[in-house]
Amino acid sequence: MAGGCPRHFTNSQQEGRENLLFLQQLINGLQLGSIYALIALGYTMVYGIVRLINFAHGDIYMIGAYTGYMIATRLNWPFLPCLFAAMVFCAVLGMTIEKIAYRPLRSAPRIATLTTAIGVSLLLQNLVRYFIGPNYIPFPELFKRQSYVIYSAGSGLGLRTLTVSNIQIIVLVTALTLMFLLQFIVRKTKTGKAMRAVSFDKDAARLMGIDVDRIITITFAIGSSLAGAAGVLVGIAYPRIDPGMGVLAGLKAFVAAVLGGVGIIPGAMFGGLVMGSAETMVLAYGKSTYRDAIAFTILILILLFKPAGLFGKSVSEKV
Amino acid sequence: MKNVSIRIMALCLVLALIVSLVGCTKAPVQTTVKEIVIGVVAPMTGDVATFGKSTRQGVELAVKQINDKGGINGSTVVIKAEDDKNDPVEAANAALKLISKDKVIGIVGSVASKCTLAAAPIAQSNKIPLISGTSTNEKVTQVGDFIFRACFIDPFQGLVMAKFASENLKKTTAAVLFDIDNDYTKGLAEQFKLNFEKMGGKVLAYETYGKGDQDFNAQLTKIKSFGPEILFLPDYYNTVGLIAKQARAQGIKAIFLGGDGWDSEDLVKIGGDAIEGGYFSNHYSPDSTSPEAVSFRSAYEAAFKATPDALAALAYDAANILMEGIKQAKTTDGTAVRNAMAGLKNFKAVSGNVSFDSNRNPIKGAVILKVQGGKQVFEAVINP
Amino acid sequence: MSLLDVNQVSMHFGGIKAVTDFDLHLVPGELVGLIGPNGAGKTTVFNVITGVYQPTCGAVVLNSGDLSGKKPCRITQAGIARTFQNIRLFGSLSVLDNVKIAYHFHATHGVLASVLHGSKHFAGEEIITKKALELLDIFGLTPRKEEKARNLPYGEQRRLEIARALAARPQLLLLDEPAAGMNTNESRDLVRLIDWIHHEFGLTILLIEHHMDVVMSICRRIVVLDYGRIIAQGTPDEIRANPKVIEAYLGEEVSS
Ligand SMILES: Nc1ncnc2c1ncn2[C@@H]1O[C@H](COP(=O)(O)OP(=O)(O)OP(=O)(O)O)[C@@H](O)[C@H]1O
Ligand SMILES: [Mg+2]
Repeated sequence: MAGGCPRHFTNSQQEGRENLLFLQQLINGLQLGSIYALIALGYTMVYGIVRLINFAHGDIYMIGAYTGYMIATRLNWPFLPCLFAAMVFCAVLGMTIEKIAYRPLRSAPRIATLTTAIGVSLLLQNLVRYFIGPNYIPFPELFKRQSYVIYSAGSGLGLRTLTVSNIQIIVLVTALTLMFLLQFIVRKTKTGKAMRAVSFDKDAARLMGIDVDRIITITFAIGSSLAGAAGVLVGIAYPRIDPGMGVLAGLKAFVAAVLGGVGIIPGAMFGGLVMGSAETMVLAYGKSTYRDAIAFTILILILLFKPAGLFGKSVSEKV
Repeated sequence: MKNVSIRIMALCLVLALIVSLVGCTKAPVQTTVKEIVIGVVAPMTGDVATFGKSTRQGVELAVKQINDKGGINGSTVVIKAEDDKNDPVEAANAALKLISKDKVIGIVGSVASKCTLAAAPIAQSNKIPLISGTSTNEKVTQVGDFIFRACFIDPFQGLVMAKFASENLKKTTAAVLFDIDNDYTKGLAEQFKLNFEKMGGKVLAYETYGKGDQDFNAQLTKIKSFGPEILFLPDYYNTVGLIAKQARAQGIKAIFLGGDGWDSEDLVKIGGDAIEGGYFSNHYSPDSTSPEAVSFRSAYEAAFKATPDALAALAYDAANILMEGIKQAKTTDGTAVRNAMAGLKNFKAVSGNVSFDSNRNPIKGAVILKVQGGKQVFEAVINP
Repeated sequence: MSLLDVNQVSMHFGGIKAVTDFDLHLVPGELVGLIGPNGAGKTTVFNVITGVYQPTCGAVVLNSGDLSGKKPCRITQAGIARTFQNIRLFGSLSVLDNVKIAYHFHATHGVLASVLHGSKHFAGEEIITKKALELLDIFGLTPRKEEKARNLPYGEQRRLEIARALAARPQLLLLDEPAAGMNTNESRDLVRLIDWIHHEFGLTILLIEHHMDVVMSICRRIVVLDYGRIIAQGTPDEIRANPKVIEAYLGEEVSS
């Protein structure tokens, strides 16, 4: 569809331009992907521990965006305190949801919990619709947008520079910092080890003195706080929020989690980044109509060929 | 703030309850007083709710002014409004409800073309005249001879902006980025490309996105690689604001152009500095100097403590055109009203003098507004 | 003064009476064997003591403290640790982490203490690592410490499970068939090891075992379960001579 104009490139010029374009698109994809990754981490953590696909997770991300919005507009706090407050609020929200909605159903059939999760998701959306309003609202500008040229390739037609905006840097750095922090918590701390133990064998963990309920609560808290952070980052990167924003983002993050292998933390990070990049590349080299289709294509392919995810070990079903 | 609005809401609820109770007891007696009921379909909630609010206020003002002068041929005009949430299905339901339950004589609405396109066939088959203030898609009035509009049509806005870009701004290269799922932005995009190229310009990139997208970096990077002088963004304000920000963050220096979808205070709230210096076509500017426009503005400001936007002006015009039709027909019969509306010549409306062509589209000029210092500034008038 | 009192415990699952009127009193430092045919209810007794099941009736008392209604993790923290009939290590964690995790949660502190109290945390971490390594040494697992638990050979997994249980610093250790699936040599080594830790750590041990030679060689006292009821108890010699036991084990070899 791209309108053609006569271009007179030598082959090598053309190639350089294409490479630059690809790199620039990759940067765009990583920004989007790091947000998906943050949401995907929560899905994966919760699934890993309670084997529950927490469909309300995308809405916690939405609440994170709204918390950031409230704090930034009412209290005029800057970015970091805003991010921190949204994370804390979402952590508390996640814990509350777990205690009230999921814990009583822990030994109930899975479909009951799943239905409850969808109910919680609708509840959160509608609470925001009722108390704040159903419409798009602009997210306040916490940073003045600036862009930096990180590479410049002389003159001529086509993309000549590689540009990174401060927003992209902030989103990427924040997301990566949080991911590494999470990785540290899970790998190195006692709580993190307990999480892994609980996810491996709840009963054995219990009998090693691990308070499984508390570990589950902490898992929800951490997962939800990451979603909250993603909400604020999205507000900064794409400053328009609405009560339904968590649905599609949550779905895509879920696909990202499945792509990496549900329950596997590095898998979720990787899956998120891949999803973001894939989406961007579809837009860059394909048609915008396929943007959302790519997520579900990936989901179907993964389920067909590597159901345990890219990072998961395939366990053959015992018949 | 919040408490006050809650209290007002509660008060309204109580009042509504009382009114409905009183209404019930009086119902049998009321048959002697003849009321003319007109319907409004507009998005009161959803992604373009500010459009719905302006539309409603425009209609309310027109009706109030008519009633203050004794109504139409002695009958009071009553408004029944329905929310379509900017959703075609809801719009069709709203039209059906207004016609079958509220027995309206005519309908003003809806705002978005996609919604009007859904509501129009229902009005058409019931022989109820429907006039949209703002649905600019060509197909709207092609639904049938009972469908009118108070605004010019999409091809015209695409043409206007193409003309403005090449004749006023003297630019020769452009890129277009639009929502492929939306007839409105698609219509503008197509016509802009067609006319800009006809006038000797080059459209270097013609890119699309989908409904609800927030991330446009991929398309913008592509556009940037072509280095156009103009970037045509024919979407609604909230999306345009997002695109503008991301475009400037990528270092795109093109001038942004758009259509009447830009017309909202939220454009600047979302777009910030990025949207500064952009131009868009519109049906109306509050700075217009015609006597109708001046008196409309002062009445609107007195009633709603806000400056009217184009949506309000067009809804006001649409309501007045409909009521003028009813007045001239001297009956509430749908066909007679339609014929009277179609026959209007140089009807003095706020957005210009309206005559209808054979497709019930008004023939009139467009204004170009510039976003400057966070405000809309009158720039030029472009005639077809 | 006994360490553990199991008073008249019954455990019924619907119609199945897995354990009925079970009574057991352990004096500190005892090593008692719990035997019985398959399905006799031995593991169920362990599950009741460790709080996995709430008994249908009766009570479990540790150090004069009633354990009824306590969460399993609290019971572990109160001083009871166990191993499992089917190995239940944390397979995705390293051998060292399996042991450390039990150390950590012996007495828990604040939720995020380990994240927030940096220096204190690391000091504590060092001590725990040291102690865990000592334990691994005893069980001959030091060379394997970085490996994932699931990659260990079967015999070593059994030993690691005991090491992990010890890391919870119990007063009472419950071993559910620790020699299951081992050959004669391996199980003889294991007996020696159990005997050693019994003395070295001053532990009280309750041992379920199918290898009669194991039980007979290290237990001073043996309790025999059949169909959920105690049918005999006494010294190995008494048990060996008990006709009820012989009947219950009809066809099985009682004496070694
Ligand atoms: N959760 C449960 N629900 C229902 N029945 C159970 C449950 N746990 C155990 N049982 C039943 O209780 C009885 C005793 O089981 P238990 O596992 O305690 O036997 P055991 O003596 O450990 O046998 P083995 O030597 O085979 O390990 C069995 O009939 C078993 O089926
Ligand atoms: Mg057993």
